[in-house]
Amino acid sequence: MKHILLVIASLLFSVLFFEKSIGINLLIFSIITLIVLSVYHPQKAKQKENIVYSVVYLLSAIFVFIQDSSLSIFANCVAFFTLVGLFSDHKTSIYINWLNGVFTSIAGLLFIKVNHPEKKKHHQNIDLLHLTKLIVIPIVFVVIFILLYKNGNPLFEDMINKINFDFINIQWLLLTILGFYLFINISEPVQVEPATTKDLSLKNELFKSEKFSDEKLKKEKQLGTTLLSLLNLLIGFYLITDIISIQSLDISRASVLSAEVHKGINTLIASIIMAISIILYFFRGDLNFYKENRLLKYLTFLWIIFNVVLVALIFIKNQNYITAFGLTNKRIGVHIYISLVLIGLLTTFLKVVKTKNMVFLFRVNTQIAFCILIALSAINWDHTITNYNLNTAKSYDLNYLIELSDANAILLKEYSKQHTLDPKLNYKIDIKYADYLKKIEEKTWQELSFKEYKMSDTDKAL
Amino acid sequence: MNIPNNLGKCIVLASIMFWIIVSSEESSEPIFFFVVLSSIPIALVVSATILFTVCPFFWNGRHKNRTNVEIFKMYFPYYSIAIFSLCTIGIISSDFNIYETAFYVSAFFTTNFSWIWFAKEPLTYTYTQNSTTNEIQNKENIKNNPVSR
Repeated sequence: MKHILLVIASLLFSVLFFEKSIGINLLIFSIITLIVLSVYHPQKAKQKENIVYSVVYLLSAIFVFIQDSSLSIFANCVAFFTLVGLFSDHKTSIYINWLNGVFTSIAGLLFIKVNHPEKKKHHQNIDLLHLTKLIVIPIVFVVIFILLYKNGNPLFEDMINKINFDFINIQWLLLTILGFYLFINISEPVQVEPATTKDLSLKNELFKSEKFSDEKLKKEKQLGTTLLSLLNLLIGFYLITDIISIQSLDISRASVLSAEVHKGINTLIASIIMAISIILYFFRGDLNFYKENRLLKYLTFLWIIFNVVLVALIFIKNQNYITAFGLTNKRIGVHIYISLVLIGLLTTFLKVVKTKNMVFLFRVNTQIAFCILIALSAINWDHTITNYNLNTAKSYDLNYLIELSDANAILLKEYSKQHTLDPKLNYKIDIKYADYLKKIEEKTWQELSFKEYKMSDTDKAL
Repeated sequence: MNIPNNLGKCIVLASIMFWIIVSSEESSEPIFFFVVLSSIPIALVVSATILFTVCPFFWNGRHKNRTNVEIFKMYFPYYSIAIFSLCTIGIISSDFNIYETAFYVSAFFTTNFSWIWFAKEPLTYTYTQNSTTNEIQNKENIKNNPVSR
């Protein structure tokens, strides 16, 4: 019976995706995936982590339906691989879930064929004949009865004649086979070894080693203290000069602000990588358990704080840039990067305070990155950028807004109606809007997003 | 390792997959002449890909006295992920051109099946001078009862 579900799912896969762009079809596909996983693994589906990640996966699919952006589609794919990986083993780190999820989706069945041949043989012996009967016999009888009823009722005959199966061709069938391959793969999640076992055996805590030597650690502490003291002095001096330069910055010139932000970002990247590497080097092992490491720890915390201030300064510069010259994808990217850096510094601080190892850092940071990705996919950035620039920013580049995705077509059209623009820009906006309307009209129900379903006649008549 | 047998099966599989996908496009009906002619470049590409990207894993693994299944379990996941990524990039960058899509899809499945056929070959061992009696006994046990692994 379970295999029937896979056949139905793969048929739906083709109905949803054959020669279609992304829209509500991805949401329906996500629901089908959740049903397949729950039917094949009812016990695992009840586990707390799996429920949470199923909800996250469904949310990401809803975001695709509502926002219809490339980022939300990417986030949904990542959530899909995470969930499939989680069904292979729910106790592994998220990056191992990704590895298991990707591998299960692309070659799970082939792996089982070699790794567990008895499992595959068992499946084939039981199901193949039964499966054929379950599909062929009902189809044959349904067709016979349709032909019988057709002759008995003109209305029924008319309705049957209207059903169009022209969409079924070899490519459609190939896509159905691909869908079946995908669903049969995810129905039996596999684990990549030895990565999974190794990850399960790794703990987050650091332990005192047998080679613990006071003398050796004393020397290492001296080196660390000297190095961090000098680096703290240096970054402190740099921050003072940076604060002074921000106050005297000419914010009326985009090129000056742009250069400042880019220079700041380069400094930030170098500084943060160095900072985290040095901290990880000194606190990689026994120095965490050395009695006289207090000064080194304080210097480390001070350095982290200084780096946080550096992050804040870059944030201010970028925000000045945005206020003066509007939002762009790159400027949002800088803000996101800054936030990730801040989180990285905080987790490094936690690592030192709670005597954790590097695995902890990697696990927590990837987990947070995943959460941020899902959260960011809830927003349509092109729409947000356009809305902010047209209504709040002091100046902006209208050509840039026109080049963004169709998500801002209505906003731009409304704006062009209310303002007197350069005829060239007006023409570009009209073309963009007309293309957008044409695309919507050509879309089938599988490709529509929420805003297209909800699009009013007023919007279409702009 | 029965390389000729593996290559033969892979060439047939790649040719069938390639032409099924290409012929699925209504406008490009496969002409028998082209199908026969295409078997030469397909054979060359398949042989080169398998000899240079799949066989080295097994040669290296055998040198370390690993069984084919052990080699498969250890390297196949990473190999399949890498080849899938490359093929996906190829398909997207070709803008879903039917010939390139057919090439990459058949390349993905052919290389994967090549791994499976190598892994499923009957176990034969070469013992090094350093192999201990226990190692040899263990390998013989595995050889006699491969499924219990």
